Amino acid sequence: MTAAGRTLAVERDLRLDFFRGLALFCIFIDHLPDNIVARFTLQSLMFSDAAEVFILISGYTAGMVYGRILERQGFLVAGVRIYHRVWQLYIAHVFLFMIYMAIVAYSVGALNNTLYAEEFGATNFLGEPGLALVHALLLHFQPPFMDILPLYIVLLAALPLLLAGFRVWPWAMFVISLVLWIAVQFDGNVALPTYPGPDGVWFFNPLAWQALFFLAAWLGWRSIHGGVSWLNHRWLFWLAMGLSVTGFLIRFNWTLHDFYDPIPVPISAKLLWPLLSKSDLGLLRLASVLAVSFLVSSLIHPQARFMAKPAAWPFLICGRNSLYIFCLGILLSVLGHLVLNEFFGGIVMQFAVSAAGVAIMIAVAALLEWLGAAHDASGGSAVGASTASRGARG
Amino acid sequence: MIPILLRCVMIALAIGLISEPLVAFAEQECTVPERFYTFEPALTKTPRALASGRQIVIAALGGASSLGVAAGGVEMAWPARLGAVLTERFPSARPKVVNLAVARQTAKRAVERLDRDVLPLKPTLVIWETGTMEAVRGLDVDEFRETLQTGIDQIRAAGAELVLVNMQFSRATDAMIHFEPYLIAMRELSDVNDVPLFRRHDIMRHWAEYGSLDLRTNDSEKRRQVAVKLYDCIGRAMADFVTHGHPAAKRAPSSEIER
Repeated sequence: MTAAGRTLAVERDLRLDFFRGLALFCIFIDHLPDNIVARFTLQSLMFSDAAEVFILISGYTAGMVYGRILERQGFLVAGVRIYHRVWQLYIAHVFLFMIYMAIVAYSVGALNNTLYAEEFGATNFLGEPGLALVHALLLHFQPPFMDILPLYIVLLAALPLLLAGFRVWPWAMFVISLVLWIAVQFDGNVALPTYPGPDGVWFFNPLAWQALFFLAAWLGWRSIHGGVSWLNHRWLFWLAMGLSVTGFLIRFNWTLHDFYDPIPVPISAKLLWPLLSKSDLGLLRLASVLAVSFLVSSLIHPQARFMAKPAAWPFLICGRNSLYIFCLGILLSVLGHLVLNEFFGGIVMQFAVSAAGVAIMIAVAALLEWLGAAHDASGGSAVGASTASRGARG
Repeated sequence: MIPILLRCVMIALAIGLISEPLVAFAEQECTVPERFYTFEPALTKTPRALASGRQIVIAALGGASSLGVAAGGVEMAWPARLGAVLTERFPSARPKVVNLAVARQTAKRAVERLDRDVLPLKPTLVIWETGTMEAVRGLDVDEFRETLQTGIDQIRAAGAELVLVNMQFSRATDAMIHFEPYLIAMRELSDVNDVPLFRRHDIMRHWAEYGSLDLRTNDSEKRRQVAVKLYDCIGRAMADFVTHGHPAAKRAPSSEIER
């Protein structure tokens, strides 16, 4: 690693990498069908899950990194770099769609003839694959596993607008973001439609999820301008603590109950459902991820010692290369799904597939690190993949 | 962090290994292991009525899979098979299973039909198979949950017992439809409302794993035969499910049973 690279690594807030790495592992594990390991991921401990953590950290990092580029190199450079990221995500989306189509092509006979023939017939999707392709390219068709990338694409595409807004009218941006989020909470019709429909909607409603991404991006943006002073108030810490602990007690009780039914549930999930929508990023999910991340950021130092230990390394490198590992994780979810439904194998197999997927993610991240270091060593400006742009993996 | 994770993993392994039925390899083609309904609340009125030999109406709501489309006819569908098995077990009870399924019907449409088509039959039991259309079309999960809750409340208010039935499992199409959120919604609804859930998805997955009920063949006649067998198995499993927890209901009624 070059001297410049080393300085950057020292300055770097390792918590962002570490917890984003953790979120990436959880997203992969949560996506495997009927997977017992998924009962021990973030979602079993708090109202929100890895998706919120991922969007929050991505928003924060993006606000910080591209905010800095905006300050130093201007709006055009920042905009082009953001759209370069968007393009990479879009390519990953299209690649996943190709895999989906391959699976469909492989089992198209089964679709036409058996258990879901009726329901598939109603969607008219098999009769018009060309149209399905166009809808997928427009992010309008979101088969399994292809819902979170479109969300990320749309949010990142809006980032130049956000950054410009932060500079000129931060309060107006706040109001717009909040009004949109509230509108989604109260009106189920505020959603984006999907193909084939009718009435299908984006699983992750970007009109709601923008609130989290916006807030995180704003905090990231503020962090390069000396932070936000009122965040240091003591009462805010205790509020976050109270919310996190209460959330944990309630949510973990549900987890235990889910595991062993006779365990009583003092606070029924039914009461909180209206606030727990994942599609619409319900109030409790939003509050939960904000409270927990505030708590974590208050209690853990940016270069805390445990993150220098070898055990933390896999998390760090995956978080550092999040764009690639995120896409890889989704691809591995699809493959893991196929493996589990082909060979079954119960709990042992669930552990094996989970572990294998995580191992592949770590191996690829290590490879990318090695490649990046080799690139730095050789001057590395040829393709523009310098250390600075590695830092910009939002 | 890591030690806690490791410990969790070990506990999970231990629990999993105990509950995983290793004997399953030896079991018959389509029996359902106890664990699929150990914690489901037992019905009361329905098995009691069956055991006492009263005539009862069981209404089956659902979509194409409840119409037996893949097997070639409604007389091959699980509601018909359920009726046959119950009649066999309780000859004097004359249970009448009315199949109200409509292909491609969403939960919303089913709820709209409750007052008109379902509740006027005065069913002792409503078996509601749902979720497939929502998952295939990617409809709003929260709305699905609210719709089911409305339906559950209406059916209960009418004094009928209720069993929810979730989606089918098929290896060929499982990776193509995003069932997970809808399966979770149904599990949570059944849990908070104390409505027994017939976990058809898990049960069929179990059969696919250990049995020969695999529809993946190019021979259409063979595939139809497998579907016939499958729906028969579902019907039988459902008969066990609606009577489980009631020893009296296991046998044909005799004069001693009803005190």
